[in-house]
Amino acid sequence: MSALLEAQDFSLAINNQWILKNISFQVESGQYLSIIGPNGAGKSTLIKALLRLIENAKTTGRILLLGRDLKDFPRKELARLIGYAPQAGGWIPPYTVREFITLSRYSSSERSKDNLALARALSLTSLEDLADRTLATLSGGERQKAYLAAALAQETPILALDEPTSFLDPRRAFELDNLLLDLHQNQKLTIITVTHDLNHPSLNAGLALVLKKGALSYFGEGQTLFNGQILEEAFDHQFVHLAHPKSQRALVLAQ
Amino acid sequence: MTTRTKLASLIIIAGLATIISPFLGADLISLSSLQTPGHPEAEVFWVLRLPRSLGAFLAGAGLSLGGMVFQALFRNPLATPFTLGVASGSAFGASVYIWLGASFLGSFGPLSASFLGAGLSMALVYLATRSQGGLSTSVMLLAGVIVNFFFSSLVLFIQYIGSATESLRITHWLMGSLVGLETPRLPDLAFIILVGASVIRFLAPEIDLLVSGEELAASRGVEVKRTKLIIFVTASIMVGAIVSLTGPIGFVGLMVPQAARWILGWSHKILTIAVFFLGGAFLAVTDLLSRVILAPAEIPIGVLTALLGGPFFLITLFSTRRKGQLL
Repeated sequence: MSALLEAQDFSLAINNQWILKNISFQVESGQYLSIIGPNGAGKSTLIKALLRLIENAKTTGRILLLGRDLKDFPRKELARLIGYAPQAGGWIPPYTVREFITLSRYSSSERSKDNLALARALSLTSLEDLADRTLATLSGGERQKAYLAAALAQETPILALDEPTSFLDPRRAFELDNLLLDLHQNQKLTIITVTHDLNHPSLNAGLALVLKKGALSYFGEGQTLFNGQILEEAFDHQFVHLAHPKSQRALVLAQ
Repeated sequence: MTTRTKLASLIIIAGLATIISPFLGADLISLSSLQTPGHPEAEVFWVLRLPRSLGAFLAGAGLSLGGMVFQALFRNPLATPFTLGVASGSAFGASVYIWLGASFLGSFGPLSASFLGAGLSMALVYLATRSQGGLSTSVMLLAGVIVNFFFSSLVLFIQYIGSATESLRITHWLMGSLVGLETPRLPDLAFIILVGASVIRFLAPEIDLLVSGEELAASRGVEVKRTKLIIFVTASIMVGAIVSLTGPIGFVGLMVPQAARWILGWSHKILTIAVFFLGGAFLAVTDLLSRVILAPAEIPIGVLTALLGGPFFLITLFSTRRKGQLL
């Protein structure tokens, strides 16, 4: 049986600059993958490549979704399978939170379910009170949650998230991480997320994929990510290894 | 007031303004005179004023829709239907025709020449954009600006080498006017504008998502390249057809979509309908003003819209500064 998502020796170049080099990995249905690596390692490029969002890129190798080449998917079909929340920086769409979330239902063929999906997305992200505010009037963290809510409203089996907690304070980040974990565990969502939190894959018992200068330096269980010198080599930096005082899970701190 | 109520009110007001405008002018036309067979006022109404008001409505609707989609595509409120060089290409075609002293195809001649010019500018913008791979909006914008300047320079060159009469005719054409809009052309124009408006209305959900950013639109399922191409071709044909008949009437496509967004927000399902009626009524009323302000003389309508456009620009600038974002 084929994996849900599989990269086979995948490389990608933009303007003849190879951003991703010979990446291979597999994600099965219901797994939680954290993509980590230093700035400029190609994390966001990889997550965008999984959604075929990079125009005019030269690629070799391939990415398979449900055993089919990603290039063969019509856009709408892809949007029914993978929900996407980009980083919240840059251009701010001129819509209210409600309008923005509703727009993400574009690929759905069931218009009658739009209101339900909107209400659920607002409720899961606790954005009900901000539903009629424009995105421009929200804080970075609130906007990030609106992006996640829009991805949730797509009601897809896979969520692809690009640094979903980067603008959030510790409490909101913790709540959002818990929400994602809950969706992963109870609704069997497959989650692929770019994160700068190195402890993320260990704490949620998921998979970790480490990139360094566009190449894969580790792919495997989050629990074993801290074995050896994987992080030290990826980040060219030393880390202190310790155990979580309550769960006893392995943790690292930058030294 | 709900959005639907606002839209309905706007359509009613715009419809009334358009219907009333041919009755008004240097001389008022009474309803009773229309019911009298052979009445001179009825002749003026049916032969001159009504076709002209209809032409103004169609031109205003088309230019406004063109401005609306280009503003959405480029996520820039200062984009106009002429941003991609269609008007200057069209002006170039008309200028060459006037300069050559051509008379082939009769009254259809300048129209065909300017439409050909519009097509040429469209093709150049498209080919220049494609040459960089894909259909990048920023490359398209840059190509449009270059083509715009290039054809504008050619028009100036033709004016320079042409005779004083030719130069004056070209200048007059460039001011934009509804005087030359002939009744037999109205069904053609109506067909192009209605088909264009329908295509844009059909693509409203895609346009809404494109406003959020092309990457986000693609992630939600929009075939971005195909949608942009359809929008570009549809808007350019509409604008090219209008400009070839009336010359470039500026600022309509800038002002009307902005005003409609202030009233109705950002849903292009609603905006398309609002901009169609508001743009149409705006130009029909402006045409009326151009006929009465210096009656019996006429101010070229392009001059009047430009005079209104300046203050509108300032209001837009102050308003966007207050709101903290440009769109």
